[in-house]
Amino acid sequence: MRLPKFEYFEPETLEEALRLLAEWRERVCVLAGGTDVLVKMRNGRLKPGAVIALERISSLNGIGFDLRKGLTIGAGAKLSDVTSHPDILRYYPAIARAARVMANVQVRNMGTIGGNLCNAAPSAENAPPLMALGAVVTAASLEEERRITLDDFFRGPGLTAMKPEEIMTSIFVPTPPANSGASYQRISARCGVDIAAVSVGAMIMIEDTVCREVRIALGAVAPVPMRALSAEAFLKEKVWSEEFLREAARISADESRPISDVRASLEFRKQMVAVMTQRALEEAYGRAIKR
Amino acid sequence: MESRFKIVGQDVPRTDAEVKARGKALYTDDMKLPGMLHGQILRSPLAHARIKHIDTRRALGLPGVKAVITGQDTPKIKYGNWRLFPDTQDEYPLAVDKVRFIGDEVAAVAAIDRDTAEEAMELIEVEYEELPAVFDVDLSIKPGAPVIHDYCPTNISVNRKIKYGDVEKGFAESDYVREDIFNTHSVSHAYLEPCSALAQVDLDGRITLWTSTQVPYIVQCLLASTLNMRENDIRVIKPFVGGGFGGKMELRAWEFCAAFLARQTGCPVKFTLTREEEFITGRRRHPMKIYSKVGFRKDGTLVAKDLKIQLDGGAYNAMGPTATFLCGNFGAMLYRYPNYRFHGEHIYTNKPPASAMRGFGAPQSLYATEIQMNMAAEELGIDPIDLRLKNAQVSGDEIPDVATISSSGFIDCIKAVAEMSDWKEKRKSLPAGRGIGIGCYSFISGGVFNWFNTQYPFSAAEVRVFSDGTAHLLTMASDIGQGSDTVLKQILAEELGLKMGDIRMTSADTSMTPQADLGSWGSRVTLMAGNAVIDAAKKIKEPLFGAVSARFNLNVIHDIECVNGRVQSKSRPDYGLTFGEAVAMVQKANRGEPLVARGSYTPRGKGLVTPAFGFGAQVAEVDVDKETGLVEVKHMWTAHDCGTVINPRSVEGQLAGSIQMGLGYALSEQFVMDGGKTLNTNFVDYKMPTASDMPPSELFHVETYEPEGPMGAKEAGEGLASPTAPAISDAVYHATGYRCMDLPITPEKILRNLKKNK
Repeated sequence: MRLPKFEYFEPETLEEALRLLAEWRERVCVLAGGTDVLVKMRNGRLKPGAVIALERISSLNGIGFDLRKGLTIGAGAKLSDVTSHPDILRYYPAIARAARVMANVQVRNMGTIGGNLCNAAPSAENAPPLMALGAVVTAASLEEERRITLDDFFRGPGLTAMKPEEIMTSIFVPTPPANSGASYQRISARCGVDIAAVSVGAMIMIEDTVCREVRIALGAVAPVPMRALSAEAFLKEKVWSEEFLREAARISADESRPISDVRASLEFRKQMVAVMTQRALEEAYGRAIKR
Repeated sequence: MESRFKIVGQDVPRTDAEVKARGKALYTDDMKLPGMLHGQILRSPLAHARIKHIDTRRALGLPGVKAVITGQDTPKIKYGNWRLFPDTQDEYPLAVDKVRFIGDEVAAVAAIDRDTAEEAMELIEVEYEELPAVFDVDLSIKPGAPVIHDYCPTNISVNRKIKYGDVEKGFAESDYVREDIFNTHSVSHAYLEPCSALAQVDLDGRITLWTSTQVPYIVQCLLASTLNMRENDIRVIKPFVGGGFGGKMELRAWEFCAAFLARQTGCPVKFTLTREEEFITGRRRHPMKIYSKVGFRKDGTLVAKDLKIQLDGGAYNAMGPTATFLCGNFGAMLYRYPNYRFHGEHIYTNKPPASAMRGFGAPQSLYATEIQMNMAAEELGIDPIDLRLKNAQVSGDEIPDVATISSSGFIDCIKAVAEMSDWKEKRKSLPAGRGIGIGCYSFISGGVFNWFNTQYPFSAAEVRVFSDGTAHLLTMASDIGQGSDTVLKQILAEELGLKMGDIRMTSADTSMTPQADLGSWGSRVTLMAGNAVIDAAKKIKEPLFGAVSARFNLNVIHDIECVNGRVQSKSRPDYGLTFGEAVAMVQKANRGEPLVARGSYTPRGKGLVTPAFGFGAQVAEVDVDKETGLVEVKHMWTAHDCGTVINPRSVEGQLAGSIQMGLGYALSEQFVMDGGKTLNTNFVDYKMPTASDMPPSELFHVETYEPEGPMGAKEAGEGLASPTAPAISDAVYHATGYRCMDLPITPEKILRNLKKNK
């Protein structure tokens, strides 16, 4: 379909972008890679009066790691940069994996991690591992900069906690605690070029075989990426065992709220939440005791 | 063994490889003509409805819109590929009275650009009277079901019966009889190049149509009849085509609309479908409900088979009649059935029409055959390999009313694939969750039955040779990516002793290449067009041989040959001329007339099905994740008999493509439907396997020589589309105990079954 007429801006600084955003408010659309926005504009689901492209704002594109503090990924970092960053590969393999298995080469070369989160699809691949690792995003407006935990970020399909005058600038992920490990698991019908029917991110910290910290996040099984809080509570402070693991996986399936759609049925998704949760926890545990 | 051929059988690079790899090959949608308009088709949002009124005035008023047409503007002439039986021609280029599926073509627009054409679509107002619709074959044939076509009150548009021997007596004499019902599903051809057609009208009113088609000749004839024009006033040219797989073998609405609108506006008009349109309305493989009853003796000898197949044809016949005939023929192929009965019914429903798709009824029919063989093997306590060896068709076997099989390497294929895969050992010793399974096929090398009712030869070739030692091959045969241009050149180069680079080729242009060629389908091109090329080459060689004999005053017992760019005596190569010199001599002897010859091929004395049969066997090894139900195909082994292998790499390409399609058919591809509505209309949700899903694969050619084929060759393109699904299915059964009776094999079905068996 014909792209509707719109103004196009390519600001070079964040401030300039924020000013444009404040000026255009609801009639504007921020373009961080375009792999979702342009598709929506093409099929007429999105008709912005203006588009602000963030690509030229170099301060948004970096990836930095500090062992004492953690990882800061610029919201404009390309997914392909995330998958190949040495510190991410070493300290955050679950994040690297999520960015690597999603979509296809072309989309990963254009798409950004911030864009994937702001698009707020229930199946957003990067959300579960980031949530499991306690990620916090920074949103900036002309007035302030505020931090939103990823747990509080998603509000519904396509809806986030960001205000219309805000731009996501970065995603911060704390350094994983000692004796912890994380994992990302997904299921889809083919090896690649696919959207996960179910995905799970998990982080676990083990002290003397006891699970001191557990975080489980589920993708594509609710209107938003969600934490499996009951499963986490069940496993916390328990001695790691096959039996508890299976029970945690079962609880996680229970608390998921999937629907049936073209990709999978509700029943299958629930079953897969259990399997993927178990596998994610197992891999996370394996990584935790190795560190 | 040293090959008797110099170019045939060699690893000759495909003539289209480089231009495609460089991205320089021109497909229809790449073409732009001055003043060209862009077309769009308005499609029905309803599965079954009467069109009460169409108002195109607002669309016509949109700046940039040059024309809007509906069925009422057209000559209202129905078309269909089965010209021999005009009753079966059930489709209008644009709906006249009713729409019969979601996506049925209702109106067309030509505008200065695509966006304008799309906007105009939204301004066309159609008033429908919705009718009850039916989406299931069982409901469609019930009394009182909605009638989809007035001419066909039962909704059963084709009835096909085959019978030989005495089936009842056969079952009575059998020690073991089993009866099963299989259901197969619909899948998409998913060719990478969406359909596209560009029409231009000259000042005399003649039409040139460039179109992405497998059948330029059929498009030419049917376009002429639907436009009420003469065939010779229509020229159809097939540019590079990005795959067809049976989905581009009919006249289609956009081809008609491009031509009609070009005539009306005086401007060239192009239509290119979107992928969504392809998925919503493109042809698809027939879902079939297959009732199969087979009887064996205790020792595994087949005695009788009773097969009933209901094809869900969707809203129009398309190539359904052929599929209905062929699935019954495939039911009697592969093994010896002394007593056989078949009843096929082609049934209308309000779904997108099914049509030909790689295998043309065989993937469905043989899925049932092969799974049932394995079920019987298990009950009879015979290894599936041994049961097949016992019943395999061999050279000289006669299929009653069909043909005598002139060459079959089937037994060697079964043996080879069993050995390659270490079948006996793996069948015994694979751990739980791992499995190995077998599927086999036999396939036709082109069809004999002249449903198109052509008055021309089935294939034709013209060869022109020149005094510079080159040749020009002209044929209407259509290279749609399968490599026929390369193969036909190879055959001519072999016959004339020339190099590939010496041959210029013009193909698939209905006004420049000799009449006719029925197109690329049914794995017919290598055999039929190949034979036509040989026929023409022989007629070229005759005068060349004469010239050399005369020039060197050769004794009449000398054999003369064309080899290495020369025409010479076989026993005394020094008695010879270069190819070009020989051509010049013939011309001089004939007052300068160019040396040109025409050859053709039409099967004779080969029954009504096919002149030759390909065979093969395939083994798959799978790993099934018992928690997720996901199947990973670990390895495929294939042994096949395509007669003489003309181009080994092309055959390997056919195999790889077949495995890719077979994987999708078995495991991941399906249309998710809500009544008549297709829900998964993009490649994210239509799960076609990708390169990373492809298993490692090994191939063994069983060399036979097919007497009816060019240089001994027969089909290699479609037979291979059949064995992959049953082989994977059988391997999944071996791994998990889940026997798939209704394709596809989904993780959910596997898990449900594992739960049940617990």
